[in-house]
Amino acid sequence: MSLYTVGRLCLKIAGRDAGKKCVIIENVDDSFVFVDGATRRKKVNVKHLEPLNTVLEIKEKASHEDVKAAFDKLEIEVWNKKSKKVAKRPTQVRKVASKTKDKPVSKPKKEVKKEDKKEEAKAESKVEDAVTEAPVEKKEEVKAEEATPEVKTETQEQKE
Amino acid sequence: MPRGMFKSGRLRKIFVKTPGSNTHVQYRQRKPSKAVCAHCKKELMGVPRELPAKMRNMPKTAKRPERPYGGVLCSACMRGVMKEKARSEE
Repeated sequence: MSLYTVGRLCLKIAGRDAGKKCVIIENVDDSFVFVDGATRRKKVNVKHLEPLNTVLEIKEKASHEDVKAAFDKLEIEVWNKKSKKVAKRPTQVRKVASKTKDKPVSKPKKEVKKEDKKEEAKAESKVEDAVTEAPVEKKEEVKAEEATPEVKTETQEQKE
Repeated sequence: MPRGMFKSGRLRKIFVKTPGSNTHVQYRQRKPSKAVCAHCKKELMGVPRELPAKMRNMPKTAKRPERPYGGVLCSACMRGVMKEKARSEE
């Protein structure tokens, strides 16, 4: 009769769970058993287990909660499945959320600004046109006035 | 003749072929010795043989196996330790 019966407490010898205690839940064949407890719940070769003296009262294919209850009596900490779910990436979610929040607020602001700018630009351009047009006309008039007397003076000198 | 510091054997030689088909000698730092089991002195698997500067930039999981006594004992010796631990408990 083999030592590896259902309910036998074992120490895991090999792999990353080595040094942790587990219970045999199910016998697959001569060399393989299913195991749960402080280790991960998984199929294991018997060579990777060292049997201990104690045998727990556990049904075959017992759930993780039943195993946990049995281990609490022995005061052994059980491997917690839920610790893996915590390790998600919160940063990506935050970025998406911030974009969606900003978009509706920012869009109307920009539109308002653009309209204001356009109006301001139009007003400024009108003023500028008015300013630019006026001096050009004056300059031309001045030039014309300046040009005519010079010509007259020259002609007068020639005559003299 | 090479300089005195290159003759001592502290640095390893590497012969490099230049584009003009000449060979040129480069001197580089020697790699550290291979990691060894503390119990049976076998070479350890899964421990890279790199310079300390490279090892510093590597992740922890790339530097040694993920098991108790990983990078110190080989797997067989670690099993022996665990068996002793299990049998001494009772």
